[in-house]
Amino acid sequence: MPINVKLDDVLYERRMTLTELSEKIDITLANLSILKTGKARAIRFSTLEAICKVLDCQPGDILEFTK
Amino acid sequence: MPESDGYALSLTRKILRFLMVLNPVFAFLILVLLIASLIWESWVMTALGVKSELDSTKLIFAMRTIMVLGIAAAPLVQVVLKRLMAIVESVDSGNPFVLVNAERLKTIAWSLVSLEVIHFMIIVVAKGASSQELPIDIDLKFSFTRWLAVLLCFVLARVFEQGARMRDDLEGTI
Repeated sequence: MPINVKLDDVLYERRMTLTELSEKIDITLANLSILKTGKARAIRFSTLEAICKVLDCQPGDILEFTK
Repeated sequence: MPESDGYALSLTRKILRFLMVLNPVFAFLILVLLIASLIWESWVMTALGVKSELDSTKLIFAMRTIMVLGIAAAPLVQVVLKRLMAIVESVDSGNPFVLVNAERLKTIAWSLVSLEVIHFMIIVVAKGASSQELPIDIDLKFSFTRWLAVLLCFVLARVFEQGARMRDDLEGTI
Protein backbone atom coordinates (compact mmCIF):
# COMPACT_ATOMS: atom_id res chain seq x y z
CA MET A 1 0.00 0.00 0.00
CA PRO A 2 1.45 3.46 -0.87
CA ILE A 3 0.41 4.86 2.53
CA ASN A 4 3.19 4.18 5.05
CA VAL A 5 2.63 4.40 8.77
CA LYS A 6 5.59 6.03 10.51
CA LEU A 7 4.31 5.55 14.04
CA ASP A 8 7.47 3.67 15.02
CA ASP A 9 9.70 6.61 14.06
CA VAL A 10 7.60 9.17 15.98
CA LEU A 11 7.44 6.88 19.00
CA TYR A 12 11.24 6.51 18.90
CA GLU A 13 11.69 10.29 18.70
CA ARG A 14 9.38 10.76 21.71
CA ARG A 15 11.05 7.87 23.57
CA MET A 16 7.66 6.25 24.05
CA THR A 17 6.66 2.61 23.74
CA LEU A 18 3.59 1.34 21.91
CA THR A 19 2.21 0.05 25.21
CA GLU A 20 2.46 3.51 26.79
CA LEU A 21 0.74 5.06 23.78
CA SER A 22 -2.05 2.48 23.86
CA GLU A 23 -2.67 3.26 27.55
CA LYS A 24 -2.72 7.01 26.92
CA ILE A 25 -5.10 6.94 23.94
CA ASP A 26 -7.19 4.04 25.22
CA ILE A 27 -6.77 1.82 22.16
CA THR A 28 -5.74 -1.80 22.53
CA LEU A 29 -2.13 -2.72 21.94
CA ALA A 30 -3.27 -5.27 19.36
CA ASN A 31 -5.03 -2.60 17.31
CA LEU A 32 -2.10 -0.21 17.57
CA SER A 33 0.21 -3.01 16.41
CA ILE A 34 -2.03 -3.52 13.38
CA LEU A 35 -1.77 0.20 12.64
CA LYS A 36 2.00 0.28 13.21
CA THR A 37 2.66 -2.65 10.90
CA GLY A 38 0.55 -1.10 8.13
CA LYS A 39 -2.03 -3.87 8.22
CA ALA A 40 -4.95 -1.56 9.05
CA ARG A 41 -7.44 -0.83 6.27
CA ALA A 42 -8.49 2.54 7.64
CA ILE A 43 -7.90 4.90 10.53
CA ARG A 44 -10.58 6.90 12.31
CA PHE A 45 -10.11 10.66 12.66
CA SER A 46 -10.65 10.22 16.41
CA THR A 47 -7.75 7.72 16.58
CA LEU A 48 -5.50 9.98 14.53
CA GLU A 49 -6.45 12.95 16.69
CA ALA A 50 -5.69 11.04 19.89
CA ILE A 51 -2.31 9.87 18.58
CA CYS A 52 -1.36 13.37 17.40
CA LYS A 53 -2.44 14.89 20.71
CA VAL A 54 -0.36 12.45 22.80
CA LEU A 55 2.67 12.46 20.52
CA ASP A 56 2.35 16.22 19.85
CA CYS A 57 2.67 15.81 16.11
CA GLN A 58 0.79 16.30 12.83
CA PRO A 59 -1.06 13.56 10.88
CA GLY A 60 1.61 13.91 8.21
CA ASP A 61 4.24 12.86 10.75
CA ILE A 62 2.37 9.57 11.24
CA LEU A 63 1.24 8.88 7.67
CA GLU A 64 3.25 9.17 4.50
CA PHE A 65 2.23 8.70 0.87
CA THR A 66 4.79 7.08 -1.43
CA LYS A 67 4.45 6.51 -5.17
CA MET B 1 -30.33 -10.52 20.35
CA PRO B 2 -33.96 -9.88 21.46
CA GLU B 3 -35.68 -12.89 23.03
CA SER B 4 -38.36 -13.03 20.30
CA ASP B 5 -35.64 -13.19 17.60
CA GLY B 6 -33.93 -16.01 19.47
CA TYR B 7 -37.24 -17.85 19.66
CA ALA B 8 -37.89 -17.29 15.93
CA LEU B 9 -34.45 -18.67 15.07
CA SER B 10 -34.89 -21.65 17.32
CA LEU B 11 -38.31 -22.36 15.76
CA THR B 12 -36.88 -21.96 12.24
CA ARG B 13 -34.09 -24.41 13.08
CA LYS B 14 -36.62 -26.97 14.32
CA ILE B 15 -38.83 -26.56 11.22
CA LEU B 16 -35.81 -26.85 8.90
CA ARG B 17 -34.58 -29.99 10.69
CA PHE B 18 -38.05 -31.51 10.36
CA LEU B 19 -38.27 -30.62 6.66
CA MET B 20 -34.77 -31.98 6.03
CA VAL B 21 -36.01 -35.35 7.27
CA LEU B 22 -39.42 -35.10 5.59
CA ASN B 23 -38.06 -34.20 2.13
CA PRO B 24 -36.00 -37.39 1.52
CA VAL B 25 -38.85 -39.45 3.02
CA PHE B 26 -41.25 -37.97 0.46
CA ALA B 27 -38.72 -38.52 -2.33
CA PHE B 28 -38.36 -42.14 -1.24
CA LEU B 29 -42.15 -42.60 -1.17
CA ILE B 30 -42.44 -41.17 -4.71
CA LEU B 31 -39.67 -43.55 -5.79
CA VAL B 32 -41.56 -46.47 -4.23
CA LEU B 33 -44.71 -45.32 -6.05
CA LEU B 34 -42.77 -45.08 -9.32
CA ILE B 35 -41.32 -48.58 -8.93
CA ALA B 36 -44.72 -49.93 -7.89
CA SER B 37 -46.31 -48.31 -10.96
CA LEU B 38 -43.83 -50.24 -13.11
CA ILE B 39 -44.37 -53.56 -11.35
CA TRP B 40 -48.09 -53.41 -10.43
CA GLU B 41 -49.22 -50.88 -13.00
CA SER B 42 -52.96 -51.51 -12.99
CA TRP B 43 -53.19 -51.71 -9.18
CA VAL B 44 -51.29 -48.43 -8.65
CA MET B 45 -53.17 -46.63 -11.40
CA THR B 46 -56.52 -47.75 -10.01
CA ALA B 47 -55.42 -46.55 -6.57
CA LEU B 48 -54.52 -43.19 -8.14
CA GLY B 49 -58.01 -43.01 -9.64
CA VAL B 50 -57.22 -43.92 -13.26
CA LYS B 51 -60.19 -45.79 -14.74
CA SER B 52 -58.97 -49.07 -16.25
CA GLU B 53 -61.56 -49.19 -19.06
CA LEU B 54 -60.09 -46.08 -20.76
CA ASP B 55 -56.85 -45.97 -22.75
CA SER B 56 -54.52 -44.41 -20.22
CA THR B 57 -51.09 -45.02 -21.78
CA LYS B 58 -50.42 -41.32 -22.23
CA LEU B 59 -51.65 -40.52 -18.73
CA ILE B 60 -49.56 -43.27 -17.13
CA PHE B 61 -46.46 -42.04 -18.96
CA ALA B 62 -47.21 -38.48 -17.80
CA MET B 63 -47.70 -39.59 -14.20
CA ARG B 64 -44.40 -41.47 -14.23
CA THR B 65 -42.66 -38.43 -15.73
CA ILE B 66 -44.15 -36.27 -12.98
CA MET B 67 -42.91 -38.79 -10.38
CA VAL B 68 -39.39 -38.67 -11.85
CA LEU B 69 -39.50 -34.86 -11.81
CA GLY B 70 -40.72 -34.97 -8.23
CA ILE B 71 -37.78 -37.18 -7.24
CA ALA B 72 -35.40 -34.86 -9.14
CA ALA B 73 -36.73 -31.90 -7.16
CA ALA B 74 -35.90 -33.50 -3.80
CA PRO B 75 -32.09 -32.95 -3.88
CA LEU B 76 -32.69 -29.32 -4.87
CA VAL B 77 -35.07 -28.83 -1.95
CA GLN B 78 -32.48 -30.47 0.31
CA VAL B 79 -29.82 -28.02 -0.93
CA VAL B 80 -32.14 -25.08 -0.15
CA LEU B 81 -32.90 -26.42 3.33
CA LYS B 82 -29.25 -27.19 4.15
CA ARG B 83 -28.01 -23.78 3.02
CA LEU B 84 -30.83 -22.06 4.90
CA MET B 85 -29.92 -24.02 8.02
CA ALA B 86 -26.27 -22.96 7.66
CA ILE B 87 -27.35 -19.30 7.36
CA VAL B 88 -29.56 -19.61 10.45
CA GLU B 89 -26.63 -21.15 12.37
CA SER B 90 -24.34 -18.32 11.28
CA VAL B 91 -26.91 -15.81 12.58
CA ASP B 92 -26.93 -17.77 15.84
CA SER B 93 -23.15 -17.56 16.11
CA GLY B 94 -23.39 -13.78 15.67
CA ASN B 95 -21.54 -13.61 12.36
CA PRO B 96 -24.02 -13.67 9.46
CA PHE B 97 -22.33 -11.07 7.24
CA VAL B 98 -19.73 -13.36 5.71
CA LEU B 99 -19.10 -14.06 2.04
CA VAL B 100 -19.97 -17.72 2.45
CA ASN B 101 -23.56 -16.71 3.32
CA ALA B 102 -23.77 -14.68 0.10
CA GLU B 103 -22.68 -17.81 -1.78
CA ARG B 104 -25.27 -19.86 0.12
CA LEU B 105 -28.01 -17.41 -0.85
CA LYS B 106 -26.93 -17.55 -4.50
CA THR B 107 -27.06 -21.35 -4.36
CA ILE B 108 -30.55 -21.14 -2.82
CA ALA B 109 -31.65 -18.72 -5.56
CA TRP B 110 -30.36 -20.98 -8.37
CA SER B 111 -31.93 -24.03 -6.71
CA LEU B 112 -35.26 -22.15 -6.57
CA VAL B 113 -34.89 -21.29 -10.26
CA SER B 114 -34.28 -24.99 -11.01
CA LEU B 115 -37.31 -25.94 -8.91
CA GLU B 116 -39.44 -23.45 -10.86
CA VAL B 117 -38.20 -24.99 -14.12
CA ILE B 118 -39.17 -28.45 -12.81
CA HIS B 119 -42.51 -26.99 -11.76
CA PHE B 120 -43.01 -25.60 -15.26
CA MET B 121 -42.10 -28.99 -16.79
CA ILE B 122 -44.68 -30.68 -14.55
CA ILE B 123 -47.31 -28.17 -15.71
CA VAL B 124 -46.46 -28.91 -19.37
CA VAL B 125 -46.54 -32.70 -18.84
CA ALA B 126 -49.77 -32.56 -16.82
CA LYS B 127 -51.55 -30.24 -19.27
CA GLY B 128 -50.36 -32.33 -22.20
CA ALA B 129 -51.69 -35.60 -20.77
CA SER B 130 -54.77 -34.34 -19.00
CA SER B 131 -58.13 -34.79 -20.73
CA GLN B 132 -61.78 -34.49 -19.76
CA GLU B 133 -62.12 -38.27 -19.32
CA LEU B 134 -58.77 -38.66 -17.58
CA PRO B 135 -57.84 -35.41 -15.86
CA ILE B 136 -54.64 -34.98 -13.85
CA ASP B 137 -55.85 -33.32 -10.71
CA ILE B 138 -52.75 -31.41 -9.56
CA ASP B 139 -52.91 -27.79 -8.47
CA LEU B 140 -50.34 -26.30 -10.83
CA LYS B 141 -50.42 -22.59 -11.38
CA PHE B 142 -47.84 -19.96 -12.18
CA SER B 143 -46.90 -18.24 -8.95
CA PHE B 144 -45.65 -14.68 -9.00
CA THR B 145 -44.74 -14.98 -5.31
CA ARG B 146 -42.28 -17.84 -5.94
CA TRP B 147 -40.47 -15.90 -8.66
CA LEU B 148 -40.41 -12.91 -6.33
CA ALA B 149 -38.75 -15.16 -3.73
CA VAL B 150 -36.10 -16.09 -6.33
CA LEU B 151 -35.41 -12.41 -7.03
CA LEU B 152 -35.34 -11.68 -3.32
CA CYS B 153 -32.69 -14.37 -2.80
CA PHE B 154 -30.47 -12.93 -5.54
CA VAL B 155 -30.86 -9.41 -4.08
CA LEU B 156 -30.19 -10.69 -0.55
CA ALA B 157 -27.06 -12.48 -1.78
CA ARG B 158 -25.77 -9.15 -3.09
CA VAL B 159 -26.72 -7.43 0.19
CA PHE B 160 -24.78 -10.08 2.13
CA GLU B 161 -21.78 -9.65 -0.20
CA GLN B 162 -21.75 -5.90 0.45
CA GLY B 163 -22.37 -6.44 4.16
CA ALA B 164 -19.45 -8.87 4.39
CA ARG B 165 -17.14 -6.38 2.66
CA MET B 166 -18.29 -3.55 4.93
CA ARG B 167 -17.73 -5.73 7.96
CA ASP B 168 -14.23 -6.61 6.77
CA ASP B 169 -13.48 -2.91 6.31
CA LEU B 170 -14.86 -2.09 9.73
CA GLU B 171 -12.77 -4.81 11.33
CA GLY B 172 -9.67 -3.35 9.69
CA THR B 173 -10.44 0.17 10.91
CA ILE B 174 -8.43 1.37 13.88
